[in-house]
Amino acid sequence: MRVTVDVKGEETHEIDLETVSAGSPNGGAGTGGSTPTYQELLAEIDLSPHEVSVLVDGRPVPEDQPVESDHVTVLRLIKGGSKPPIDRNR
Amino acid sequence: MTSSPPELVVPTAIRDRILERAREGQPEEICGIFGGEYDPAPDGRSRVRSQYPAENVAETPRTRYRIDPEAQLELFEELEDRGEEIVGFYHSHPRGPPRPSATDEAQATWPDRSYLIVSLEPLEVGSWRWRERGNEGRFERERLVLD
Repeated sequence: MRVTVDVKGEETHEIDLETVSAGSPNGGAGTGGSTPTYQELLAEIDLSPHEVSVLVDGRPVPEDQPVESDHVTVLRLIKGGSKPPIDRNR
Repeated sequence: MTSSPPELVVPTAIRDRILERAREGQPEEICGIFGGEYDPAPDGRSRVRSQYPAENVAETPRTRYRIDPEAQLELFEELEDRGEEIVGFYHSHPRGPPRPSATDEAQATWPDRSYLIVSLEPLEVGSWRWRERGNEGRFERERLVLD
């Protein structure tokens, strides 16, 4: 399946799922030979779930789920705040 | 060093409206999106045409801000329907600092876009571009030009 990945405010990518390596250790639910996850799709365009949200039909989808849609929207997160971070893992 | 810093042109009425929102919203931080003409160049001049208020959905809104992705997408579509580009974002620091905090730096994700900050204590409005090189990023101060 060919997936159109629309990174809002930037470019649109066409990615062939066959070329995405599924089942990487950080890829969540994916296991070797299965459908790549949204996280693995993001890795193809050098993005991580820490900096973006993935939406399908206007709704966020869990990044560790297998890619089921041929069109996804990627949004860079808009967040921050006045106080220094306390928990650096968040 | 560049001889000419980037610029963000903001209509005075929009600056005033954001200041008003920041005051009304305190002690919590307020946030929103700028639409207009976007110029990513090192000495680029972006121009704000519209501001789109967003709800701050952070768990601790007195010291953090976050725009919900679904709301963000709706605002982007509204902005694009008006022929505008994503120029950048704004948020308030009710008790300062009048510059990006360590949290702002740790959580910035939009290269070359403007991040305008309204500090209420001290009262100051400034804008910065988020610049990324490799895995490193930093805020670069830009000139704020009132129109």
